[in-house]
Amino acid sequence: MRDAYVLGAGQSSFGSFPEETYLSLFDDAFDAALDSVDGEFDPGAIDEAYLGTLGVGGRQIGLSGPAVTEHLGLHGVPTTRVENACAASGFAFRQAVTAVKSGVVDVALAGGYEVMTDASSDHTRWWLGVSGETEWERTSGTTFAGVYAQMASAHMDEYGTTAEDLSRVAVKNHGNGAKNPKAHLGFECSLEDAVSAPSVADPLNLYHCCPTTDGASAVLVASEEVAREASDAPVRVAGAGAASGRVGLFQRESLTSIPASVSAGEAAYEQAGIGPDDLDFAEVHDCFAIAELLAYEDLGFCERGEAGRLLREGVTDPDGELPTNTSGGLKSKGHPIGATGTGQIVEAFKQLRGEAYVQVDDPQYGLTHNVGGSGGGVTVHVLERGESA
Amino acid sequence: MRGIAAAGAYVPRFRLPGDEIAIAWGTSHASGIERKAVPAADEDALTMAVEAAERALSSDAVDRDELTLATAATTTPPTEEGELLPRLARALDLPRSVATATVGGHTAAGAEALSRALDAEGPALVVAADAPEGEPAEGDHPLGAGAAAFVVADDASAPVTETAWHTEETPGVRFRERGGRDVESLDVTTYQRNAIREAVTSAAASLALDPADADAAAVHQPDGRFPYRATADLPVSNEAVAAGTVVDRIGDAGAATVPLGLLAALDAGSGDGGDADAEAGGRSLAAFFGGGTAVAVAVEGGLDVEGIDDLEGGTEIDYASYLRERGYVVNGEVAGGGAHVSLPNWRRSLDQRYRLVAGVCPDCGGVSFPPEGACQSCHSRVEFEEFEAPRTGTVRALTVIGQGGAPPEFAELQQRDGAYAVAIVELDAEAGRVRLPAQVTDADPADVAVGDEVRATVRRIYEQEGVPRYGVKFEPTA
Repeated sequence: MRDAYVLGAGQSSFGSFPEETYLSLFDDAFDAALDSVDGEFDPGAIDEAYLGTLGVGGRQIGLSGPAVTEHLGLHGVPTTRVENACAASGFAFRQAVTAVKSGVVDVALAGGYEVMTDASSDHTRWWLGVSGETEWERTSGTTFAGVYAQMASAHMDEYGTTAEDLSRVAVKNHGNGAKNPKAHLGFECSLEDAVSAPSVADPLNLYHCCPTTDGASAVLVASEEVAREASDAPVRVAGAGAASGRVGLFQRESLTSIPASVSAGEAAYEQAGIGPDDLDFAEVHDCFAIAELLAYEDLGFCERGEAGRLLREGVTDPDGELPTNTSGGLKSKGHPIGATGTGQIVEAFKQLRGEAYVQVDDPQYGLTHNVGGSGGGVTVHVLERGESA
Repeated sequence: MRGIAAAGAYVPRFRLPGDEIAIAWGTSHASGIERKAVPAADEDALTMAVEAAERALSSDAVDRDELTLATAATTTPPTEEGELLPRLARALDLPRSVATATVGGHTAAGAEALSRALDAEGPALVVAADAPEGEPAEGDHPLGAGAAAFVVADDASAPVTETAWHTEETPGVRFRERGGRDVESLDVTTYQRNAIREAVTSAAASLALDPADADAAAVHQPDGRFPYRATADLPVSNEAVAAGTVVDRIGDAGAATVPLGLLAALDAGSGDGGDADAEAGGRSLAAFFGGGTAVAVAVEGGLDVEGIDDLEGGTEIDYASYLRERGYVVNGEVAGGGAHVSLPNWRRSLDQRYRLVAGVCPDCGGVSFPPEGACQSCHSRVEFEEFEAPRTGTVRALTVIGQGGAPPEFAELQQRDGAYAVAIVELDAEAGRVRLPAQVTDADPADVAVGDEVRATVRRIYEQEGVPRYGVKFEPTA
């Protein structure tokens, strides 16, 4: 099968924009993606589109994908809306990559969008809960934060992970996000602030939780031929892995791991022909602080139970061995559910082209990790710096 | 002789001291009530009935599969018209062929339910459970909560030797208007006292048992002084009345108060600890009154009552917490709707929600909960062999949902009961490990930790479209 390349990638600002619509936000993201292409690229070349959204608030539950492409003037382009909760656009990107690799299409648009801040808190809470397992998890009165908090409690019990370890995720990611002008919460926070924040779902506090965010992101996936023609340094999709898992935490073998992350990671590494030691940076799914720790362990950045140590030793800091979430991550950059997966691709694209706000030194491989719900669906992608033509 | 073969008592954990009422209102209308029991926000007549009945059925006296009749007495069914007994029967896993009777509408309902069971053939279950409400400024002051369950069978250890009735129109004594929440009284004091005393006297005097020979008398007790007044014309000793009085500790639990008083007397008369003066094989008298009907019941002997210790102890709360817990200051209406699990889908899962039914995979021996879909261990599509998981287990993961953080359908519970813990509980079954998420109730969430032992209890989960839903929660065993 042929390779797939990222030709361009861009995002709208992430933040609280209650008067924007999913259409207007995607407009911004699409423009940013087109602007990121070095050479001439005619949007009319887009053959197919895969767009991810949860549809928070119940807006345009049906056919929002075609509504977006028609709004953009991509008239008639076949469009599929992808729904896998917070991994919706990670899976949309996967669809686009698969379509290009298969040879059926030469250029595919992948992206995602979500508007979350224009509804009452109660309404939003109701929607945030819909990706948890409904019959048992939700009816036990837990929230999305609560399920990750349960994982944190088990990790703390099993490995001695502390609240301070969790808080270091916030300190690091806010430090990065403060330099990202498109981040939702672009400010720094101290370890003291992060440790002493009010509780949301014990043991997780406010600084252990990402915000609810509006935003959109868009990625142009193309064949090598198209990519080389339009770009000086297209980024190669070296590995694409994905897996499903039980939607309910209680139905999984482990309470301190996301099995779908492990499987998706292994598949992506294998396809790329590399291992975690070869990575130069990673964008991992830190919807809650514990999720970033689990990602380190599930993706092989460290042994089980060692994630807290990685943070304490600064391994994932921007100047560490494996800088992680240089964009600010979901914690600081924000988490507009459907836009997060391709939003991570935007950061990886920038890093590999030397255009990131927190730039890693001369990276060759970067990884993106996108989790739906508490682990019901996961995509992992390994992107590789393209050789200059 | 037919009578009480086993019994169980249940009183909610919370207690409101009488002093708190006096401080809050500047006066108290809870005469002779030192403390009263307060149902938690997730408790009602049904959940208390389930708990008391489970305790009664925990004895070896009768197998629940043998029950031919189940009767329930309450003045506060969860819905004014609805499905109390079928839900009780399902939660207890009684035979589908069991005959049922729900009685209510007055505080002597327990006597009617008991009488029905005494007249029946075969083992019967009788439960009286109640949590009356009233106008907070006055009528509510004495009102408490509790549940008593009796297994009625032949050759019982506490035979019911006789019952006697007296009925006479006595309007205005205690009533609740159609559609109303509050128990009311016209408060025509002398008329009411006389009417009740005359009815109780007439019923008790019709018994062959000489009231003077009663070692204990559980007499209609809307407050702590009333049972002594009601028996003023009978030769019953004050000691006997004291032995059958529980209102001083749990408040006026409507149709459940006299049944609980009778259980206290029977337990004390079991010769197994308890009151040193009460000898095994003592005589107990129960004198119910409600809506103009008085019923006197004579019981011989005694028996150990599972849960009777609930009458003592408990966790004291202040008056503000009381108002919240009972829902007097919470309307529970939340914008945004709730997570939609349809009622038919909920009903489909009742075996899991009440009885913790899980499944073993015939291929790999792995355990799945709920027992549907592919095996959670080997992922084969199989027909599970179902089994009931043990009702005691261990907390494996835990979170606390703080005030204001609950999903909309749990907002009312949270406004009433505050922050709550949600655990992933592991039940160690013979077949393997069963895991499920559930709330930890009847506990300060700060006191619950991973590794704690917890026990299953059926509670109200939430109400949607006017229909309460019930299912399993867990409470700490320690």
